[in-house]
Amino acid sequence: ARPAGRMARAEPPAAAFERRVLRSAAEHHYLRVRLELPDGGARPSVAQFKQLVVSALRELHGEVGAALPVDVLTYEEKTLSAILRVVSSGLVKLWSALTLLGFYQNRRCAFRVLQVKPCGAGWLPPNVSSRSKVVW
Amino acid sequence: AALSCRYVLCEVVSEDPRCRQCIEDRAVGLAVRDAVGRVHGDYGLACCSISFTVKYLNAYTGTVLLRCRKDSYRLLCSALPFVRQLESRNQRYPCSLNTLHVGGTIRTCQKFLIQYNRRQLLMLLQNCTNEEERRCVQKSLLSCSLTEEQSQSGDEEDDDGPE
Repeated sequence: ARPAGRMARAEPPAAAFERRVLRSAAEHHYLRVRLELPDGGARPSVAQFKQLVVSALRELHGEVGAALPVDVLTYEEKTLSAILRVVSSGLVKLWSALTLLGFYQNRRCAFRVLQVKPCGAGWLPPNVSSRSKVVW
Repeated sequence: AALSCRYVLCEVVSEDPRCRQCIEDRAVGLAVRDAVGRVHGDYGLACCSISFTVKYLNAYTGTVLLRCRKDSYRLLCSALPFVRQLESRNQRYPCSLNTLHVGGTIRTCQKFLIQYNRRQLLMLLQNCTNEEERRCVQKSLLSCSLTEEQSQSGDEEDDDGPE
């Protein structure tokens, strides 16, 4: 899906959604996500971010969900955006868990899933390849 | 059979004989649902809770019959090994659940249970230490059978009242 450009501060545009179906089954899916903390406060470090993702999975999908191999490939603390990688069979569990997460350290939060792709090539920042070591 | 259910037959195994007094529907139901919640989270718990109930139990043999939807019986069965204890009236005892059989109707589970109990009695017979026990066990063995009742209409198949 094409990103809808940098989100303007003024008013988020109506969500444009584009879906392309790739026939060949991919091993991993990549999600570009952004964490929103409307009430401000301390930003999570990359370890805390990963912990948050795992705890979201644990809440919605239990120990089985928490054991899903999810990797944080990139993380930007300033903007709270990250690229996550998950085994394709776990995409639905991860996406649903992120969607339903409402609180981080007793503060309201929301995960915005901006893009989902089965193939990381040509999309990750140039110095991160799909086989690179994970950040966390 | 639009709303199919699955009936899971299991037995409670415990080293502590006092665990028997905790084998009651509320305690077992809570323990199973707690295990499903831990292993499969809110989603799994909600899925399995639809039409979930403890249909039958026998505290003397530790046999428990659970019912759930066909769509979620795998979630239920995979969580049963994670039941660690039964709690009732502020008493808790460690135990585990062995799955014996999964069937589509109560009748198939009942047939299986009769065969299973017969085999258990045979094993008990082999391990009898005195003549008195031997005679008791033999009497029980000879009286095992499934008696056909006249009124079969209210029998399982699709047990889907609002629950």
